[in-house]
Amino acid sequence: MEVEGKGGEAGTTTTTAPRRFALPVDAENKATTFRLFSVAKPHMRAFHLSWFQFFCCFVSTFAAPPLLPVIRENLNLTATDIGNAGIASVSGAVFARIVMGTACDLFGPRLASAALTLSTAPAVYFTAGIKSPIGFIMVRFFAGFSLATFVSTQFWMSSMFSGPVVGSANGIAAGWGNLGGGATQLIMPIVFSLIRNMGATKFTAWRIAFFIPGLFQTLSAFAVLLFGQDLPDGDYWAMHKSGEREKDDVGKVISNGIKNYRGWITALAYGYCFGVELTIDNIIAEYFFDRFHLKLQTAGIIAASFGLANFFARPGGGIFSDFMSRRFGMRGRLWAWWIVQTSGGVLCACLGQISSLTVSIIVMLVFSVFVQAACGLTFGVVPFISRRSLGVVSGMTGAGGNVGAVLTQLIFFKGSTYTRETGITLMGVMSIACSLPICLIYFPQWGGMFCGPSSKKVTEEDYYLAEWNDEEKEKNLHIGSQKFAETSISERGRATTTHPQT
Amino acid sequence: MAIHTLLFVSLLIFSLIESSSGGKKDRLFTDLQNSIEVTAKPVKDSGVLEAGKDMVTITWKLKSSSAKVDTDTAFKTIQVKLCYAPISQVDRPWRKTDNKLFKDRSCPHEIVSKAYDKTPQSLDWTIGLDIPTGTYFVRAYGIDGDGHEVAYGQSTDEGRTTNLFSVHAISGHHVGLDIASTFFSVFSVVSLFVFFVMEKRKAKLEQRE
Repeated sequence: MEVEGKGGEAGTTTTTAPRRFALPVDAENKATTFRLFSVAKPHMRAFHLSWFQFFCCFVSTFAAPPLLPVIRENLNLTATDIGNAGIASVSGAVFARIVMGTACDLFGPRLASAALTLSTAPAVYFTAGIKSPIGFIMVRFFAGFSLATFVSTQFWMSSMFSGPVVGSANGIAAGWGNLGGGATQLIMPIVFSLIRNMGATKFTAWRIAFFIPGLFQTLSAFAVLLFGQDLPDGDYWAMHKSGEREKDDVGKVISNGIKNYRGWITALAYGYCFGVELTIDNIIAEYFFDRFHLKLQTAGIIAASFGLANFFARPGGGIFSDFMSRRFGMRGRLWAWWIVQTSGGVLCACLGQISSLTVSIIVMLVFSVFVQAACGLTFGVVPFISRRSLGVVSGMTGAGGNVGAVLTQLIFFKGSTYTRETGITLMGVMSIACSLPICLIYFPQWGGMFCGPSSKKVTEEDYYLAEWNDEEKEKNLHIGSQKFAETSISERGRATTTHPQT
Repeated sequence: MAIHTLLFVSLLIFSLIESSSGGKKDRLFTDLQNSIEVTAKPVKDSGVLEAGKDMVTITWKLKSSSAKVDTDTAFKTIQVKLCYAPISQVDRPWRKTDNKLFKDRSCPHEIVSKAYDKTPQSLDWTIGLDIPTGTYFVRAYGIDGDGHEVAYGQSTDEGRTTNLFSVHAISGHHVGLDIASTFFSVFSVVSLFVFFVMEKRKAKLEQRE
C-alpha cells in the first residue's frame, strides 16, 4: 500500500497508514501497548474514564455495609432484613449485566454505561430518605444495578486494546473498579464521622453521607459522556450513521452468544470467584465486628483491606494471564486460571476455621489476592470466546458473577441456618467444585487444559468466521472478526509449531 | 504497594491492641451477686416513650436484704446501663446476651457512671437521641477498683419479662434531605436525556456532511 508524497517528495513516504494515535495500534486500531499514566485519546482516556465510573458504582453499591451498625438501629432491621438486602444488592445486576452486554453491542459502551450510571444514581440519593426495612432493601436493589457497568468496562477495554494486552487492560480496569468495594468501607465511616462532628445526630449523619457516593456517580457519568469515545475510530452513533459500522441483528448476536458453551462455563466459574468477592464485601465487616468483638472502625479497616487488594491483585491476574499466553498460549491462560481460583477456594475454606484474629486477617489477605486474581484471569479468556457476541458473552459471565453471589448468600448467609464461620468454609468448598468445569473449556485452534489443538488444523479464522453465515459474509459484516482472528494468532503461544497462515 | 503495606501494618497494630485488651480472664454474669436494687419508671404513665423527649426515673441502692455487711466494700463505681429485653433481641445477633461478660452485647447503652457513695441514688434520665426503637430494662453494675464487675441489679425479673418499657427512636429523617434527593435525582435523569438529544443531533450533522 503506497502513499504518495505531495510534490514528488522522496524518502519520506511510508507504506503504512499515517499514525493518528498516541499508542501503537493493530489492524483494528486497538492499542498494542498499555501506558498507565497516560490519558491520551482515545485508548488510555477510555481506560481511565471506565475504571473510575465503575469504581464509583461499586462505592455506591457497597456504601451501606460499613454503616450497618448505625443503619440497623435507625431502621430497626433484623438479621433477616440485612441478609435480604445483601442479596438484593447483587441480584439486580444479574439481569442488568446480561442486558448491558447487548446494549454495548448495539449502542456502544459509552452511552450504555453512562445511561445506567445516571439512572441508578437516584437510588443512592433516595437512600437518605428511607424509613423502613423495605425501603432499605429497595434502594440497595436498585443501586446494585449499577454494577452492570462492569460489562461496559470489559467491552470498552476489549474494543480499545489488542490481544497481547487485553488481559492486563481488562484486569486493571476491573480491579480498580472493584477497589470501590474496599474503598467504600473506609470512605463511608470517615464521611459519617465528619458529618457527626459538624453537629448532626447519628441517625441523620448516615443519611447525609449517602450524597457523597451519589454525587460521584453522577459526575463520573458526565465525564464518560463528555470525554469518552466508543471505538478507536469514533463513536457508535457516528459510525452507524455513516455506514462504517453495519448494524448487526440483535437476535443473531444473542443466539450466537448463548449457543457457545464456553460462555456458560466462564459464567459459572466467575460466579465462584467474583461472586465470592461480592459476598465477602457484604458480610466481612460484620463478621469481624461480631466474631472478634472489634470496634466499628477496626472492622471497617479489615473489610476495606479485602477490597483494596484489588488494586494490584486483579490487575495482577490479568497481567499474569497475558504473560502465560505469551509463553503457553490460551492453554497457559486456562491452567493459570484454574490453579489460582482453586487455591482461592481452599483459602476461603480455611478462613472460616480459624479462630485467631491475626491469623484470620493474614489468611483473608492471601485469600483476597487469589480470588481477585482469578477474576482477572477469567477476563483474560473471555475476549477470545466470541468476537461477534463479545458483549453477550461478557454480559453472561459478568451476570454469572452476581448469580454466584446471590446463590451463595441465599444458601449460606441468610438467617441463622449456618454460623458465619461455617458459611465461609462451605463457600470455599463450593468455589473449588465450581472451578472444575474450567477443565472442559476447549478451543479447537488452541486446545484446552488437557488437550492440544485439534488435529484437523483449525485456524483462528475458521473459529471466528464460523459465527457468520455466507449471506452475512457477502455483506461484509464479518470484517471485524477477520481482523480479530489475525491478531489472535498470539494465543498460540511461543512453544507451538505454527499452522500454515492463510 | 506502600498503601497496602501501611494498611497491613495498621491492621496488625489494631489486632494486637484488641487481643491484648482482652487479657482479662473470662468473667461470667452468673458469678455476679444480685445485690443492687434498681427501679426504672417512665415519667409518662403509659404508651411508647419518644427518644430525646420522654424521661425515665431511675433509682438504685444496695439491697437491704443482703445479709453480708461488706457486700459493697468492693464497689468503687456504679454503672447504669440500658439493656435490651429478649423481644428486642430476636433475629438480631448483635444484641445477643452472653454469660461471658466481655462477650455480652445486650447492654450497649450507658446511662450514667457514678462513684459509689453508699446512699440510694435517683436520676431523671432523658432517653438519648441515639437510642434505637425497642423494649428495654435498666441494669446497674457495681464495679471495683480494677474496672471489673462484681455485682449487679436490674429493674426487671430474672427472665427479663416484667417492668419493661418501650422506646420509639427518632427517624433522623428531614424534609431537606428529601428535597435534596429529588433535586439531584431529577438533575441526573434530565441531564442523561439532554446528552442523548445532543448525541443524536451530532450524528445527524455528521451524516449531512
